Amino acid sequence: MELDSRVPGGPLETKWERHCFELKLVSPANKRKFQIIVVGTGLAGASASATLAELGYNVKVFCIQDSPRRAHSIAAQGGINAAKNYAGDGDSIWRLFYDTIKGGDFRAREANVYRLAQISNNIIDQCVAQGVPFAREYGGLLANRSFGGAQVSRTFYARGQTGQQLLLGAYSAMMRQVSAGRIKVFPRREMLDLVVINGRARGVVTRNLITGAMESHAAHAVILATGGYGNAYYLSTNGMNSNVSAIWKAYKKGAFFANPSFVQIHPTCIPVHGTYQSKLTLMSESLRNDGRVWVPKKPGDKRPPEQIPEDERDYYLERKYPSFGNLVPRDVASRNAKEQCDAGKGVGPTGYAVYLDLRDAIQRDGEEVIRKKYGNLFQMYERITGENPYKTPMMIYPAVHYVMGGLWVDYDLMSTIAGLFVLGEANFSDHGANRLGASALMQGLADGYFIIPYTIGGYLAGTELPAVSEDHPAFLDSQKQAQETTRKLLSINGKRTVNDFHRELGHILWEYCGMTRNDEGMRKAKELIPELREQFWQNVIVPGSSEDFNQSLEKAGRVADFLEFAELLVEDALSRRESCGCHFNEAFQTKDHEALRNDEIGCYVAAWSYNGPGGKPSLHKEPLVFENVELVTRSYK
Amino acid sequence: MSKTINLTLKVWRQKGPEDKGHFETYEAKDISTDLSFLEMLDLVNEKITLEGKDPIAFDNDCREGICGMCGAMVNGIAHGPQKATTLCQLHMRHFEDGEIVVIEPWRARPFKIIKDLVVDRSPFDKIIQSGGYISVNTGSAPEANTIPVPAQKAELAMDAAACIGCGACVAACPNASAMLFVGAKISHLALLPQGRPEAAKRALSMLRKMDELGFGNCSNETECEAVCPKEISITNIARFNREYLKASFGSSEK
Amino acid sequence: MNWFIRAFSSSIGKKQIMAVTGLAFCLFVTFHLLGNLTVYAGRDSFLSYVKHLHSWQWLVTAAEWILLFFAVLHISIGLLLFFENLRARPVRYAVKKSAGGRTIGSATEPYTGLLILGFIVVHLLKFRFVDKTGTNDFVILSHTFSHWGWVLFYIVGVIIVAVHISHGLWSGFQTLGVNHPKYMPFIRRFGTVLSFVIGAGFASIPVLIIFTR
Ligand SMILES: Cc1cc2nc3c(=O)[nH]c(=O)nc-3n(C[C@H](O)[C@H](O)[C@H](O)COP(=O)(O)OP(=O)(O)OC[C@H]3O[C@@H](n4cnc5c(N)ncnc54)[C@H](O)[C@@H]3O)c2cc1C
Ligand code: FES
Repeated sequence: MELDSRVPGGPLETKWERHCFELKLVSPANKRKFQIIVVGTGLAGASASATLAELGYNVKVFCIQDSPRRAHSIAAQGGINAAKNYAGDGDSIWRLFYDTIKGGDFRAREANVYRLAQISNNIIDQCVAQGVPFAREYGGLLANRSFGGAQVSRTFYARGQTGQQLLLGAYSAMMRQVSAGRIKVFPRREMLDLVVINGRARGVVTRNLITGAMESHAAHAVILATGGYGNAYYLSTNGMNSNVSAIWKAYKKGAFFANPSFVQIHPTCIPVHGTYQSKLTLMSESLRNDGRVWVPKKPGDKRPPEQIPEDERDYYLERKYPSFGNLVPRDVASRNAKEQCDAGKGVGPTGYAVYLDLRDAIQRDGEEVIRKKYGNLFQMYERITGENPYKTPMMIYPAVHYVMGGLWVDYDLMSTIAGLFVLGEANFSDHGANRLGASALMQGLADGYFIIPYTIGGYLAGTELPAVSEDHPAFLDSQKQAQETTRKLLSINGKRTVNDFHRELGHILWEYCGMTRNDEGMRKAKELIPELREQFWQNVIVPGSSEDFNQSLEKAGRVADFLEFAELLVEDALSRRESCGCHFNEAFQTKDHEALRNDEIGCYVAAWSYNGPGGKPSLHKEPLVFENVELVTRSYK
Repeated sequence: MSKTINLTLKVWRQKGPEDKGHFETYEAKDISTDLSFLEMLDLVNEKITLEGKDPIAFDNDCREGICGMCGAMVNGIAHGPQKATTLCQLHMRHFEDGEIVVIEPWRARPFKIIKDLVVDRSPFDKIIQSGGYISVNTGSAPEANTIPVPAQKAELAMDAAACIGCGACVAACPNASAMLFVGAKISHLALLPQGRPEAAKRALSMLRKMDELGFGNCSNETECEAVCPKEISITNIARFNREYLKASFGSSEK
Repeated sequence: MNWFIRAFSSSIGKKQIMAVTGLAFCLFVTFHLLGNLTVYAGRDSFLSYVKHLHSWQWLVTAAEWILLFFAVLHISIGLLLFFENLRARPVRYAVKKSAGGRTIGSATEPYTGLLILGFIVVHLLKFRFVDKTGTNDFVILSHTFSHWGWVLFYIVGVIIVAVHISHGLWSGFQTLGVNHPKYMPFIRRFGTVLSFVIGAGFASIPVLIIFTR
């Protein structure tokens, strides 16, 4: 199948405006005749549902948590980018566009990224009007900071809780529409299948997580905003309920999955301490603005950090990248930490950690200043590790954090299934092979507030959509299948818990398809994953019944999907014959161990289609054409 | 640094809203003090699962103290003994070897128990629906810097907006009052110029919704402030009281 | 519903009535104490204070009616709030500890309130609704406090009042929305001091009398 990204022609700057003009409109009176389903209430889902309801559409919204406000967007700490240039330091839409596309190692669509940069400013306006309490200067105007490898100050933030505040803004807009009667929220629901009728997405089947009841919901279009699948790796900074299931089900119904192996590994997380750890906690990247990353020069040096004299410390990022120093992009920082630890210079009880030291900043600015800037982070660190970061340097290690991959979407954010739109982290669109800090929040809100309201109108106005009801055979089929899976999971009654399988899967992916990859390892993973999946279906134990609140069952379903998806992830990584951004295949590296891109063969989006159970997925390549930027080698030296 | 401890857990088990519920005792053996409280429960659950029994149900998601999904009474204190800490961020190093730990769900009339430690907090959403927002449609916002907000006001608004909606305030309140939650939302919006146009209407409608849902009346016991993981201050309750007076007697809202 | 009634029938509205009436009682009790302290200056100055007070009879009567009205409000709404609060948690906790917010005053407020009601009824029967022909207030006073039983009863009574005020005063301000980072610490301290002064002041009178008689 030929992938049509439907990027409009014409100059980059006016593509979006012209496209909006060319899209068909739904008349105000007709909007209320349409029913739209939104799965997910993170920044992308909440902003989309609120805006669509404001326009007059009827919206049904689903989420796993007990309240839409708890979607994992809530956990974002650092900030959101916009090209306002309030700092007057030479920022512009063009620069934000350029930084983002370069940060992604030139593996994203120019037109999408440019649109994102354009919209970024409207997002800030919108959020401020909603009452998001962004940080301010004493004069009352908005404050900015530099963040995540950017050389300008363009990040807006609300303490270390930016995601929370943005989400509460979108959530409140959504709640307003609930009281206006245009949104109906279905919390504690999990989407189990996408219903496609005559080639168009026409609804979903969900499980009521309280009663266990299967429910069908029909609509004229379906929007998935179900977040990232980083939890495939078991340990990640994602929430416990984050999953791949929703988009995986859509993939099995015909949506293409793009770049599944593009997984961002964040350099500054609290290191793993033991087997029974359930998740990893991010320490905001902003710490790298003042903190210095180091390891002892001598491998195996077990002295406590205070006893290691200055000249026996290796500030390896500052040494290797003099111009960016500690602020190199995430992929570079992460790989370097791994490299140091693999060379035996790692610190802490496991040897898988490096120091992030704020000693010099504390000496320079005083403890009070540092406390004001990072107090809540230090407190969080102390709670988790029991160590005082004002006294001893923090220990950090990279962890799975974000996925650039997701369902393939065109310029309208529509997947290869007509009427199925995908927003936020769940799609693949704007970050290429590596995401810069503070740009996921921007993308989620751009998708939800400012893109989908236009493009979905174009789809609905230009498509014949006969009425379908919830007793259509397609719904019944999906329900039956979901019930069958549930029944199977409950009846195996084996000897290993779901968590146990999940841990093992995570271990395989982390070892063989994590921060650095090689063909041999990936081939090994391709053998191990199906074996593990086989064992899972023979030996898992899922207690309880399908007719009530059963968290083990929920988890089992998600892990079952991860076990299928993981294979695609590895397949994708193996098929990309270059290194780029987060994807570092040891066979493709420069002399200094930097990722070696191959623009001759690598300028494409890998979009995978499903070929039935047991069938090998097919790879479709969407070529990436760069007309406005020059493909340079990222250099942070 | 890290060591292991043994605990006896007395956990509230309740099959569903209609079930009467009871305490069940579990032995938590060899618990590393590096584990979080929820990881300790995970471990106990693994054991229960392998015995073929129904594991303890408890809500959680982010496990980093921001989503507000977790929460239970631990030895009679909401979110357990550590100040300004959610249950998911509470670590086992705050417990003694051999300790008996009693774990109960949030209890309040509006929070129905769904199962074990899982309660229904949707009344909070209903309160927000009744007015916890600023009415601005997407696209109609003016340029962000046209509305200056004094830094200090923005900070106070942020202090209030930090609420994670976990419900510990209600759970800890001897009267099961939701004043801290509602006061925080009212304050967040009332402190900002953007929120002023609807302030009176909001104060009245959010309060009425809160009353209607069956929360208790605040008697300024300040237990809410003491357990709040985000240390939201009761000055926000006072501001709510003030906003209510203003709305009742100084505005034309009815 | 009329907006005025509606304003006072919400939870905050009810509590604001509690606050206004409660603060009014604090004011009253303070003046009551100041008046009673004239007893330290001897029988004559006490009786002259009583005489002066009653030369403003219309004011005393008005004040009494207002106090009665406030008392009815404070007690009935207090009871209503108390029962609503009980209803808000139908299943109690098996283990419940204070996380450090509560004080003795706040935790016992409804109960001290009821005890105070009993105390006031006795107090009024003893000193207000008695036949004063052929006797005077000082005689009644010194007669009553010649018995240790009454002395103790009053000491316990005013301590309960003090405990009630220790929470009630600042709580009243808080409920009326007066909570300011600069002033609230003062108000809270003032509440403690006032409750101490009221308790000690009133308690000292029977003690003074029984020892100096
Ligand atoms: C710790 C952390 C810090 C971060 N910090 C930043 C930052 O500073 N700046 C930045 O730009 N980005 C940051 N990010 C990334 C960013 O937060 C996320 O990429 C973004 O919020 C994702 O939003 P979303 O709306 O796509 O999905 P989410 O917010 O993850 O929401 C997913 C929604 O889908 C629902 N859902 C999922 N599956 C199903 C299903 N099967 N059925 C029904 N519902 C389902 C969930 O219930 C939820 O409501 C951070 C991420 C993490 C984890
Ligand atoms: S799980 Fe999110 S706050 Fe505890």
